[in-house]
Amino acid sequence: MEHQAAAGHHEEHPPTTIKQYVMIGVLLTLITLVELWLSYSGLAHALMISLLLILSGVKFVIVVAMFMHLRFDSPLFRRLFTFGFLLAASIMVALLALFWNDHTDIVGGLPEGAESTQGESH
Amino acid sequence: MAAATHEVEHHTSTGVDNRKLLMWIFLASECLFFGTLISTYLIFRGQSLVGPLPDDVLDIPLTSLSTFVLLMSSLSMVLAVYGAQHGRLGLMKGMLLATILLGLVFLGFQVYEFRHFGHLGLNLTTNQFGASFFVLTGFHGVHVGVGVLYLISLLIGAGRRNGIGRERALWVDSAGLYWHFVDIVWIVIFTIIYLIPQ
Repeated sequence: MEHQAAAGHHEEHPPTTIKQYVMIGVLLTLITLVELWLSYSGLAHALMISLLLILSGVKFVIVVAMFMHLRFDSPLFRRLFTFGFLLAASIMVALLALFWNDHTDIVGGLPEGAESTQGESH
Repeated sequence: MAAATHEVEHHTSTGVDNRKLLMWIFLASECLFFGTLISTYLIFRGQSLVGPLPDDVLDIPLTSLSTFVLLMSSLSMVLAVYGAQHGRLGLMKGMLLATILLGLVFLGFQVYEFRHFGHLGLNLTTNQFGASFFVLTGFHGVHVGVGVLYLISLLIGAGRRNGIGRERALWVDSAGLYWHFVDIVWIVIFTIIYLIPQ
């Protein structure tokens, strides 16, 4: 019974109001504008890429938490999505670790003068 | 609202509606799908031996505009879900229509971009950039297209009814989850392909 009551509670409407949704939309737009400015800012690449990835991550979390209501919904949904996301992130890390800067599939090898950054094992 | 509370609820062993559970499982699997496509793009990044290269073709201001359109479609979608959950049929229908139109505008931007790239000599077989770019953004575009069809079917269904029951609200909620997922995938794609310098 308790379980059902808890489940029923999760199916209630999220407490967010229309005004709050609009404010979130404005915030997402502002973050996108900052991203656009950053991409033209001429900052050092490492810093720029870090900032862009952080801002992108913030937008991602805002949409998932507030628009997809994961913040207010059943913990089961949160665990499911987090599992899928982490599994995908792990696969991405594995693929990039295996093939990043791997030029072995370039027919005829690298062009004259091009520097290879691949590992010596190739 | 009254109609919504009087409908019979589904009781499940998990305590949550199975349709919503199915949608979340589907979205979790979609993370893997787009994760591998984004990885492929990153692996092929900077490996093209012939042009056109990303710096020659990408139009960041234009794509920023289409990104804004997709973000606004997410806002209209969440308002449609709000309308469905609070029994406000007019709000739900209006926001569903707005989401459909914004989705179509986004697809229009993508079609324009693809055609423009074609005129510049970039297609699926030109180089690694072309292959990975068209596959990744193309699959995303297909997802937007499927979402538009999904929303059109909901809007037609809503047009035949005078009220919204809990059951119907759940379908709109699930459609919203799908639409927002397509939006967050684009947030990542936009940053990786367009904003991060090559």
